[in-house]
Amino acid sequence: MKRQRRSRRNWPRVLAFGWLTGVASAALLAPSSLLAPDLLHTNQPPFLPSHWLGTDPQGQDVARALVQGARTILLVSLPAAILTLLLGAGLGSIAGFWGNTRLRLTRSVGVAGAALVLSALLFAAPLLARGVVGGIGLLAAAALLGWVLHRTVWGRRPWALPADALVAGLIVLLDSVPLLILVLLVAAVQRPSAGGLVLLMALTCWTTPARLMRAATLQARGHTYVEAARVAGLSDWQLLRWHIWPVTWPVVLVRFPLTVSLLIGLETTLSFLGVGLPPDTPSWGRLLAGIRQSPTAWWLLVWPGVTLLLTILSLQYLSRRKM
Amino acid sequence: MKAPTVWRHVGRNLVTAWLVLSGLFLLTRGLTDATSYLQTALEADSRIQAAERSQLTRQLLHRAGLDLPLFYISFEPTQGWQWEGTANQYHAWAANLLQGRLGTSYRSSAPVSGLLLEALRYTLPLTVLAAVLSAMVSVGLATTLNGRYPAGRRALLYLLHALQAAPLFLLATGLLLLFANPDVLAWFPAFGLGLEEESATWWQAPGRLLYHLALPVGSLVLMSAPALTIQLDAALQHELRQPYVATARAKGAAPSQVVWRHALRNALLPTITLLTELLPNLVAGAVVVEVLFALPGMGRLLAEAAATQDYPVLLGGVTLVVLARVVAQLLADALYLRTDPRIRLQA
Repeated sequence: MKRQRRSRRNWPRVLAFGWLTGVASAALLAPSSLLAPDLLHTNQPPFLPSHWLGTDPQGQDVARALVQGARTILLVSLPAAILTLLLGAGLGSIAGFWGNTRLRLTRSVGVAGAALVLSALLFAAPLLARGVVGGIGLLAAAALLGWVLHRTVWGRRPWALPADALVAGLIVLLDSVPLLILVLLVAAVQRPSAGGLVLLMALTCWTTPARLMRAATLQARGHTYVEAARVAGLSDWQLLRWHIWPVTWPVVLVRFPLTVSLLIGLETTLSFLGVGLPPDTPSWGRLLAGIRQSPTAWWLLVWPGVTLLLTILSLQYLSRRKM
Repeated sequence: MKAPTVWRHVGRNLVTAWLVLSGLFLLTRGLTDATSYLQTALEADSRIQAAERSQLTRQLLHRAGLDLPLFYISFEPTQGWQWEGTANQYHAWAANLLQGRLGTSYRSSAPVSGLLLEALRYTLPLTVLAAVLSAMVSVGLATTLNGRYPAGRRALLYLLHALQAAPLFLLATGLLLLFANPDVLAWFPAFGLGLEEESATWWQAPGRLLYHLALPVGSLVLMSAPALTIQLDAALQHELRQPYVATARAKGAAPSQVVWRHALRNALLPTITLLTELLPNLVAGAVVVEVLFALPGMGRLLAEAAATQDYPVLLGGVTLVVLARVVAQLLADALYLRTDPRIRLQA
């Protein structure tokens, strides 16, 4: 009786897992070569021999594009989600753990670090043009500045890095422009490659995991066992690694499927608008965009649309604890 | 709400907006040199001689203000650090922005503010209608589900979760294919606004506009209403378990009356926070919807500017979006105070 009820309750979960496994295996087994377009059969409706899901206005087979698009999803959204969560979790736990007053540095380190960040931001273009040499040069200059300052008495005075305020400020700055518009603007500066898109999405989407992680860290830090461990003489790093993270990382892990689904939505929207991945990369969004050229080709909406919706729904279902 | 608190609040929002815009300006100008501007300007004429071309290039750069250094300080490996004074691109841009001038478009050489105003004529009805309708739909749905018809709540919540999962462009394309398709239902037009025709008299114009905006507004509402409804429903569920609701019921109030007169006001507070995000998100959604329905609004302007690297237009559009967010924040603060007089804003 009990066993039957549990299996009945779990079948949507099984379906969601099954669908995601299907998408993942399709992505892994997908042929990597691009087929020459079948120009004799452009805009062909589905359920006909040779192209059983139809073709798009360029004569590409929809089924093949779907499978190859799954690979793109896997290769772009998964790394982007992992990067997003790592970045968010890192910054969030720094902000929550050290707060505004507890990250003690000397003034020399503070000034040198600020100078490094400022000049890296201001002179991004000439630095990028020089590549590794420019980066190492800048780092060396900052290190020299820090060393010189450290020789003075003023430079050796303690100074607290306002980590919490810095991270909170960054979050406010990033959240004040809608995500799609921000990504659109940055993508306009330089048409991103697949790797660039991953980086861009991670750099703009980390705010929510960071907020969650900050709250969780603040909560965990208040526990008495953390106080006990601190009194026992553990360093900040050991506290964070052995006593805070084991409690806080589930918060971010639960968020993982949701982040993946969010990034899939963003990536397909960008491809649909034609600013995302390079044009020769097969993608579900690009396939859907074909409907703008042939508005009556319903198969260009239904197949990729249903695949996309099922994938996102499965991911969101898995991230929900109970429903 | 005391006046200094309000000003501090506004001031903080404006400083944030200024920092974002400055960052984006330096990013767009710093990471691209003037070549993209020159390409669009000189591409039209390939007969220009090489000698002429270099002079023309210099003139064009000077006219767009791109021959100046980018920021107050600059760094060249040969000359070292240099203080450039106020004759730099950032200073000129900032001074113009403070006077309300947004610069001129690289592509069409028209003033950006004119382009934006023209685009707002289409985007403003779209987003405002969508915002009002989303708020009305979510309040209506949540109150009905918790008051009069609690039976359908679970099924509708499932539907709303599914709708929330769908990306906007999928919803909009679906609507377009269902309701503007001669093969299925040709109820609505697929593109345009119907304002172009001269035959329309002034009393026909609003109806015509509504008819043409039905599908774009519908897709925006389908995007934004589920999140609002789910949030409001959860808040109402929480409020309906409070003791004061039991008192109201014991007094003999009808279920819908309990929801409307007693619980709703308390449940609205978290939803108002979401309303702050609503307006900027609708503008972002307008990018997708306007591209799909071929409306010459701001979203389409932004998308095209992004595709052609027309940075003044892009930055101008983002300026408007950021300002809309500041205004939405102020509105939300005012609404907080209206719904719950106990709240005191702390800056």
